[in-house]
Amino acid sequence: MAKREIPEINAGSMADIAFLLLIFFLVTTTMDKDQAYIRSIPKKIEVNTPPVDVEKRNILAIKANSQNQLMVRGVIFNDPDKISDFVLDFYETNANSAGQFVDNDFPLYSIVTASQIKENIDNILDEIDAMEAAGSPEEMITFKYNQLAEWEKKDRALKLYGGNQLPEIHFQANIRIEVMQATTYDIFAKIQTEIQEAVYEVRDKEAQRLWNTSYGVLKRKEANEADKSKVKDELAKIELLEIIYPARIIEVTPKN
Amino acid sequence: MSKFKKDGKRSMPGVNTSSLPDIVFMLLFFFMVATTSKEVDPTVKIDQPSGSKAMDLTPYKQRSEVDFLYLGQPRNPARANAFKMGYALSLDNVVQPTPDGLYNTNAVGQWKKDKFDQKPARMTAPIEQVITCVKADKGAPSGLIFDIRKQLQDVNGLTIAYAVKDNGNI
Repeated sequence: MAKREIPEINAGSMADIAFLLLIFFLVTTTMDKDQAYIRSIPKKIEVNTPPVDVEKRNILAIKANSQNQLMVRGVIFNDPDKISDFVLDFYETNANSAGQFVDNDFPLYSIVTASQIKENIDNILDEIDAMEAAGSPEEMITFKYNQLAEWEKKDRALKLYGGNQLPEIHFQANIRIEVMQATTYDIFAKIQTEIQEAVYEVRDKEAQRLWNTSYGVLKRKEANEADKSKVKDELAKIELLEIIYPARIIEVTPKN
Repeated sequence: MSKFKKDGKRSMPGVNTSSLPDIVFMLLFFFMVATTSKEVDPTVKIDQPSGSKAMDLTPYKQRSEVDFLYLGQPRNPARANAFKMGYALSLDNVVQPTPDGLYNTNAVGQWKKDKFDQKPARMTAPIEQVITCVKADKGAPSGLIFDIRKQLQDVNGLTIAYAVKDNGNI
């Protein structure tokens, strides 16, 4: 039998097939990324504890009414872009006078020294030992361990910060969002955005001052790495920034 | 006398299209990699508010690990007044038929619990850390957001995310 030539496959319609696939993907996919503000909801507690007194200077209440008018610390305004200025003032006014009393309406910064941290860690360790020996309830011991973790965090932060004292905003300083039932989600989200931007800015400034990098770069490096042990440096830096400038946001459930 | 003499009829050579599929495939792969699949078309209309300039959020990587809630006006405007404040909540494309079924009973809480129970075994995060993402319309009243929040608190789903439109930077 004679050798037959294999006929060539006609690839002319390959482009059409590829175009079909391309158009299918163009239609069913989208370029925009998801973006959301992650917040945590406080745990539900059954026991009614009396409300703790918080000094006025430590509260930054951002209020919005049903007409979407805004009020921050008694100032009424309509431009929501101004909210971040208030948040920045709240964080920055006393940031440079840590450990001193300043007579104004903004939260004070305190100083934690290395010896204080060491003392606290030692004390808590002793207490845990005593409690375990006495057979205290499990919750009490976990609570103590959580406290210990907090102090160890500060210990790490101070080592990274350098020197022997760490500035820290007043532990009660908080930002609260007070909206009404009819306030639109637009405004609610805008308030969240403004707070986020202001917190980002103060943390970024601190990151620039300390290590000459931006907070955004740290965050992105940390977020893009699945193996967290490779980004220990970044994690520690973020931890330190979060200790100095914590974002304690309270969303107050509207009553009317 | 001209040196360049036109000699007879000359036909145009055909353009070689044999590399066209390669080009199109390249485009195809680019779009496959650079885009994400559109989420299921929610049964409610949603126009999200725009987000922040700064990126200080850890965007979640896996959509499947996040539970999405959609809060917007129903596509059929005639049905709007059947819902509390005119806004309907879509839980997995099921718009609750009566406002009572949605807000007075524990619809969101129940939904969240069911979702959590059905998670595959490889997702080990406790319910406190499973993100519930609320995608709400610009005009949605905040009161409804807090209703949802309350129900999530009741079932201990303590991580909530408020979705906004991507601003396009970075």
